[in-house]
Amino acid sequence: MDLFLQQTVNAFALGGTYALLALGLAMVFSTMGLINFAHGELMTIAGYILMACGLAGVPFAFSILLAIAAAVLAAIVMERIAFRPVRNASGATMLVTSFAVSMILQVLFQNFISARSQAVLVPEILSESVRFGGLVIGVNKIAAIVTTIVMLIFLDRFMKHHRIGIAMRAAAEDFSVARLMGIRANTVIAGAFALSGFLAGVAAVLWVSQRASVDPLMGFTPVLKAFIAAILGGLGSLRGAVAGGFLLGFIEIYLAAYLPSGMQEFRDPIALCLVVLVLIFRPNGLIPSPALKAEKV
Amino acid sequence: MNKLLISTLLASAMAFPAAAETLRVGVATAQTGALAPFDTPVIDGIHIAVDEINEAGGIDGKIKIELLEKDVRSDAAQTSIATQELVDEGVSVIVLPCDADPSLAAIGVITEAQIPAISTCASSPTLPQIGGDYMFANFPGDNVQATVSAKWAYDEGHRSAYIIYSPDTQYTTMPLYFAEVFEKLGGKMLGEDTHTIGQQDFSAIATRIAALDPQPDVIMTSTYEPDFPSMLKALRAAGVESQIIGSDGIDSPTTFSLGAVAEGLVFTTAGHPTEGSPLEAFNKKFEEVNGKAPETVFNAVGYDLIKVIEAAVIAADGSTDAQTLRDAIANLENVQGATSTITYKGTDGMPLREVSLIRVKDGGRELIGQPTPDASLIPEPRVQ
Repeated sequence: MDLFLQQTVNAFALGGTYALLALGLAMVFSTMGLINFAHGELMTIAGYILMACGLAGVPFAFSILLAIAAAVLAAIVMERIAFRPVRNASGATMLVTSFAVSMILQVLFQNFISARSQAVLVPEILSESVRFGGLVIGVNKIAAIVTTIVMLIFLDRFMKHHRIGIAMRAAAEDFSVARLMGIRANTVIAGAFALSGFLAGVAAVLWVSQRASVDPLMGFTPVLKAFIAAILGGLGSLRGAVAGGFLLGFIEIYLAAYLPSGMQEFRDPIALCLVVLVLIFRPNGLIPSPALKAEKV
Repeated sequence: MNKLLISTLLASAMAFPAAAETLRVGVATAQTGALAPFDTPVIDGIHIAVDEINEAGGIDGKIKIELLEKDVRSDAAQTSIATQELVDEGVSVIVLPCDADPSLAAIGVITEAQIPAISTCASSPTLPQIGGDYMFANFPGDNVQATVSAKWAYDEGHRSAYIIYSPDTQYTTMPLYFAEVFEKLGGKMLGEDTHTIGQQDFSAIATRIAALDPQPDVIMTSTYEPDFPSMLKALRAAGVESQIIGSDGIDSPTTFSLGAVAEGLVFTTAGHPTEGSPLEAFNKKFEEVNGKAPETVFNAVGYDLIKVIEAAVIAADGSTDAQTLRDAIANLENVQGATSTITYKGTDGMPLREVSLIRVKDGGRELIGQPTPDASLIPEPRVQ
């Protein structure tokens, strides 16, 4: 039983990180229909800021703020330079643009920083663990779970009560009508990107503090997981992204924990099969976006 | 027609002596993509060696080395294409990427053209085995590294072990060799786990290992960063206190910056800069050229590679003919590189090189030893 509880804590920590990542993708998708595959590079940028701060001897708490700020700024710049010109183009054009942004950034990191991973100094406390009865919980797990909860509460309040949050929800439901009501498209979209950058920055701190290094291609895996989680939850739905992130985390941890060792090699394919199975029964995801009018034949 | 033939012959006869003064080396390696972290430092080392030789007048004082470099983007198909282009440009030796898989993609081309190829730092002993006569490696083999670490673990009194490996590449299956040697020595394997390369979270595996009773004395893995620090931290956070053994992939500054969790970690690698060693001299030279100390031993491994080519040209009496060079490389003995002496004679292309066992101590490296493993213990190469 202890073992099961322990694995459940692991699942919450991993699922929480996936939820933050998926939320970042969903935030942008819900406003402008773009799946931003360069979301991972926002994390890489935050990671490099953490690395540089570590080298410069900046206290970790302060470097977290700088890293998140850098991710927000990078997201806004990314929107302004790369995505605004193609805003009215087809979904495919925007998708390809995001791939291009991602690759360009990766090559820039490889050539101007280093092709090799760079060490990030992480405070020792994050490697320690705490005992609760029979449970041993890593401090970084607790940090991940607490951060996820705080972020979800913050976002919920922001989307419900803040002017830009309400505008974003309106735009997600029907962009043209929202504009007719006097909501500025640029503000809403830039806001969505800034929030997604914020989420990427927070997720990057959790992600990097676990691996203690940053490399040019770091963003690929998290954005892939976020994409799966967002689809699983219902693309464009914020609550869905959170649900999808947690479900994906639970699937991955429980499979790693309870598949017999001969089957462990097939863990990832089995996890994806389970995702497909969920989608067969709920083709629009766990919590479909209310704006989703697409009809599946 | 005759005129044309004669003038062509004349021209080629005139061109010949000039051509013999240059050795054209084709470099088809990954400057971008997933293999770039390993290939780019090797290429830096190659440049240092080539500049050093050319400044001294060339190999044997007369044959300059010319590098023709192409980026293969860490892609197997692109490696094959780039190799073909280099063959068409008339190179005598080809340098291939660090991983066995893209290098294997170029085998057809190099065998057909009968040009020797050396992988920058692939350590899978299956590479030259599958690759045939023209394929050479430039790193201590996975099976040799695993033999060294298993023997060390057993001699330290460790009797039970657990392995974590990834079936994704040949290299990450090194723990399977470790298990084979450890059992041969009389140790007991308590179990194994697999992961995928790029896996971020190891908490489920760590929790399972922490629940084992008794705990394994040793946990061996050949996972490298970014996965390795995650794995190590997860194991320690879950309360696992076993000795952890890694391999050359974690010979990187990250490993030494992890702090308390990495203390006591032991791994095998290609060399160690002992006082007065060629590696120490190389590191000094690297710092002079690049203005910073090397981040990894892979720089020196690149230097080694050019020293091997230099030795082969000298052994072939200054010939730059590809076939002659292949035979010369296959018969090289005790070439002094930066990390070790290198011998190809009597092998299938997987060189005999020293393996260094390193322990992380106070955030720095401590040399445990550079043992030569007992040949009867080394497992046969196995294709995963």
